[in-house]
Amino acid sequence: MRRFTVATFLVMCASTAAVASQTIAKVQLPCESPYEVLSPTGTQVAVQCKDNSLHVINIPMGTQQSVFPAGRGANSFVYSPDGRWLAVGFQDGTVEVAPSRGTAPSKHWKADSHRIDTLYFFPDAKTLFVGPVDSPGEVWGLTDTPTLRATLPVDFGGMPVCAVSPDGKLLVAAGDDTVVRWYDTATWQKTREYRGFLLETFALAFTPDGKYLLAGGADSRITVLDVASGKEVRQLPPEAGSYIVAINMLGDKQRAATVYLDDAGEKPAHELFWDLATAKSVALKSDSPATCGGVVGGKFWCCTADGKTLTISQHE
Amino acid sequence: MNFTRRELLERCAVFGAVTLATSMPVSALPTAWDDAEKKRQPTPFCELGPFYKRQAPNTSMLRAPGDSGMPLTVSGVVYNTRGEVVPEAKVEIWQTDNFGHYDIEGYRYRTLLEPGAKGSYAIESVMPGHYPTRVCQHVHCLVTAPGHKPLITQLYFATDPVLEGNPDKNFTRDPLITSRDLVRPVMIKGEPRQIIAAVNFDLVVETL
Repeated sequence: MRRFTVATFLVMCASTAAVASQTIAKVQLPCESPYEVLSPTGTQVAVQCKDNSLHVINIPMGTQQSVFPAGRGANSFVYSPDGRWLAVGFQDGTVEVAPSRGTAPSKHWKADSHRIDTLYFFPDAKTLFVGPVDSPGEVWGLTDTPTLRATLPVDFGGMPVCAVSPDGKLLVAAGDDTVVRWYDTATWQKTREYRGFLLETFALAFTPDGKYLLAGGADSRITVLDVASGKEVRQLPPEAGSYIVAINMLGDKQRAATVYLDDAGEKPAHELFWDLATAKSVALKSDSPATCGGVVGGKFWCCTADGKTLTISQHE
Repeated sequence: MNFTRRELLERCAVFGAVTLATSMPVSALPTAWDDAEKKRQPTPFCELGPFYKRQAPNTSMLRAPGDSGMPLTVSGVVYNTRGEVVPEAKVEIWQTDNFGHYDIEGYRYRTLLEPGAKGSYAIESVMPGHYPTRVCQHVHCLVTAPGHKPLITQLYFATDPVLEGNPDKNFTRDPLITSRDLVRPVMIKGEPRQIIAAVNFDLVVETL
């Protein structure tokens, strides 16, 4: 099956008495969309249509700002942390980094011969992780002409997920080969690896203090790894019959919002808030599965698509 | 009178039935011809999927007594692109049960085979079910061998109802089927009360 390019960005759109929510905007979509990405500034949403076209919508104006037509085969996309850039990966292995506003020129290059499944901006927005399907991970410098800085090998397959430590000094990436690898971002040397997983990892997140790494995937549980030693600290209880596709740390290091999909592919996504200190979770009742989400101005935003209407709401 | 390919080619060359536009001596042509015929295209890549699991047991019998589903035999040989057997290959195979469920907790319908010097492998399984988010029935394969690029692929069945008996036309109904070559004919064997679906799936890996 196709990797979780879509599902990894699913985040919760909760509706419980404990979580206050407020509608931010309702936006008309150009198509029925399975998946969108919010800009970190909350001013744009990139909307993927089923024909693989990608539409950038200005949220305050409710208007379409730009389009990547279907023929280009947009497959993955992500905003830089400062919201200034939108990176798009295509079926043919090319990547485009376009300004989200203003007239700065786009950067467009052939990163690989394989479809680009994963894109991840580093905190400084000057470095981009590119994950082609069935190929090693790539690290590209964007300061000038895009330059390949490092290739990160795997035993087999590709590198579908990565995370950068809060201080930017460490990249951790998980491979199709079930191995999680640590890289020093100054030298791009592999410094450590963890081979304790039998199944694939689809989600990685650092705690805000950078001391721990949370990993989750097909084994349906969060495993907490000590970043310094690479050793397993603890495992949280599994959510039977499901696999983890996203982990989002909620501001402090104690809570992790985790999104699960059904193993059998029959039920919609569901979400749990895990308290890392007590290893207890709270299930969140969702009005409907979220199709996008992210942190905007320190608050959690998410969207739900109903036909061609996208509702964006804020939760705290 | 029966000739070997070498003899036939040499006679054709002598009598002018073959025009040689090469500096290669006639005596070397049959070998070159044979080599060219043995060459194989690499098996097309097809995605790993989310349910690969390491450390599968080494067993050719994946089905257990009483398992639901038509018995299925998949067999083949691991070659390189020169058509030579790859003797040190490892072949990992995993699939759903007949109801379309992967075993995540354990290793049902999962195996890691070591074909050995002959490069041949075989499993006894059941026809996989339709996984809900996938279009076609499929069996996953991962082949690794020293000096060769790992091969990740999937086997599909020409009998899949989704293909409506016309895989040439309909294989694109499953967007993950990257090549028609991955849709294999199914041969029905056995007695009326014990029929078995048999599929040949040779695996061709590329050298590094």
